[in-house]
Amino acid sequence: MIFSTNPWVWVAAILTLCIFSFLYRENPFYRFAEHLFVGVSAGYGVAVYFNNAIMPNLYVPVFVHHDYLFIIPGLIGMMFFFRFSSKLGFLILIPLAMLLGMSSGMGIAPTIQADIIRQMQSTIGDATSAGQGGWALVWGIVTFIGVIATLSYFFFSREQKGALKVSANIGIWFIMIGFGASFGNTVMARISLLIGRVQFLLTDWIHIIK
Amino acid sequence: MKILEKMSSIDRRVIFLLVALAVIIPLVANIGLPSRPGKYTIEMYGFIDRLPAKSQPLLIDATYSPSMMPELQPMLKAILRHCFARKVRVMLMTLDPNGPALCEAALREVAPEYNAVYGEDYVFLGFKPGSSAVIMAIGENVRQAFPADNYGKPLSEFPMMADVRNYADIPLVVSIAGSAITQGWVIYAGTRYHASVGAGCTAVSTADYYPFLQSGQLVGLLNGMKGASEYEWLNQRNGYSTARREAGKGMDAVSIVHLLLMLFIVLGNIGYLAGRRAAQKQ
Repeated sequence: MIFSTNPWVWVAAILTLCIFSFLYRENPFYRFAEHLFVGVSAGYGVAVYFNNAIMPNLYVPVFVHHDYLFIIPGLIGMMFFFRFSSKLGFLILIPLAMLLGMSSGMGIAPTIQADIIRQMQSTIGDATSAGQGGWALVWGIVTFIGVIATLSYFFFSREQKGALKVSANIGIWFIMIGFGASFGNTVMARISLLIGRVQFLLTDWIHIIK
Repeated sequence: MKILEKMSSIDRRVIFLLVALAVIIPLVANIGLPSRPGKYTIEMYGFIDRLPAKSQPLLIDATYSPSMMPELQPMLKAILRHCFARKVRVMLMTLDPNGPALCEAALREVAPEYNAVYGEDYVFLGFKPGSSAVIMAIGENVRQAFPADNYGKPLSEFPMMADVRNYADIPLVVSIAGSAITQGWVIYAGTRYHASVGAGCTAVSTADYYPFLQSGQLVGLLNGMKGASEYEWLNQRNGYSTARREAGKGMDAVSIVHLLLMLFIVLGNIGYLAGRRAAQKQ
């Protein structure tokens, strides 16, 4: 076991161990690392956003290229700070309305196209294209049934009884399988994060793994 | 019976210890469990493999922070190795403020392995705030979103960027992300500008993207560390890389921990049922 001579590796390793100490119980080392992380992240975020958003989109156009039109969006953006004023707090609605309007205008049409129309086309297409045959056709039909059954579970305009109840119950099974798949992937993701930290400790810090 | 009942009340610290051992032992012992690539990894790999050398550059968006590194950084490195080995040009960008340092670390490691030249084989566009607005701006003109590279050099000064204007000149966009930004690429770049989009995501968000695969809106999908490991395996099998399989090594530990967790779930349920039966008898 040969420990790293890089002081920054030591800092990262000690902070990792501080965070892991929470697994035993809450303690000052964990709280120190947690607060340090929050502070460093906030500071880093402010610096990066200042250099990549404020400087190229406001400072340089106005003060270097003398394009004073950029002052208008700059002022509208700064109106977000009115939320700290009890008297003028309502003015935040102006930039908020612009932001919502712009996002909705940009997003609604392509989102409907990508998330609803293409998905519906694909669901119907996979289940009805007899040409593909075999398992592809079987899975296409399963997807089709799953979509209809799941949608019927969320149909609340009629009491769920008779055919609707049967369909909704099938829908619940599909939803549960979906949750199971998501949970399985979540477990893998969290374990992957743990592996990443352990790999760092064993490789970069104590050099057990080459 | 008491042993069965105790199974459902094992101290969580015992479980943590066993999970830690299940992670450390495979990493140190180098087990090398078999791992074969899945359909969607092969589709993504195949798409990039069919791109002609020295053609228009593909665009990689590496939008993730250090907390997602174990899953996504090996993915980025594996795709870069594939591209550089085949002389496929790359534009790398990020929509996460933490991204530039991670992108530069990957480039610093991979580019020298293939003697890839900055400005000729790859260019790093850097970070730009604005997510969907940036994606849409690239659809009009990449220079509108990124007038200069990460180091302030105008894009017009790079020979590899001479004929690149918008998505029509980019054969593939690869979104490597730990957030919903991949959906933004599908919606804006894919649907609105008809770009081909591939994705690499954390395992947590994989289930959200399967519908886009089924509808053909994604050309392929790399699923967390497993996807990265599969891509590394394909690179090695095809002779594109001799580098250590970072994610591949991690996958041994993932498999062992999954077995352990399945065992805990079974034991926990047996303990629960045994406890319930004992309560009923009383």
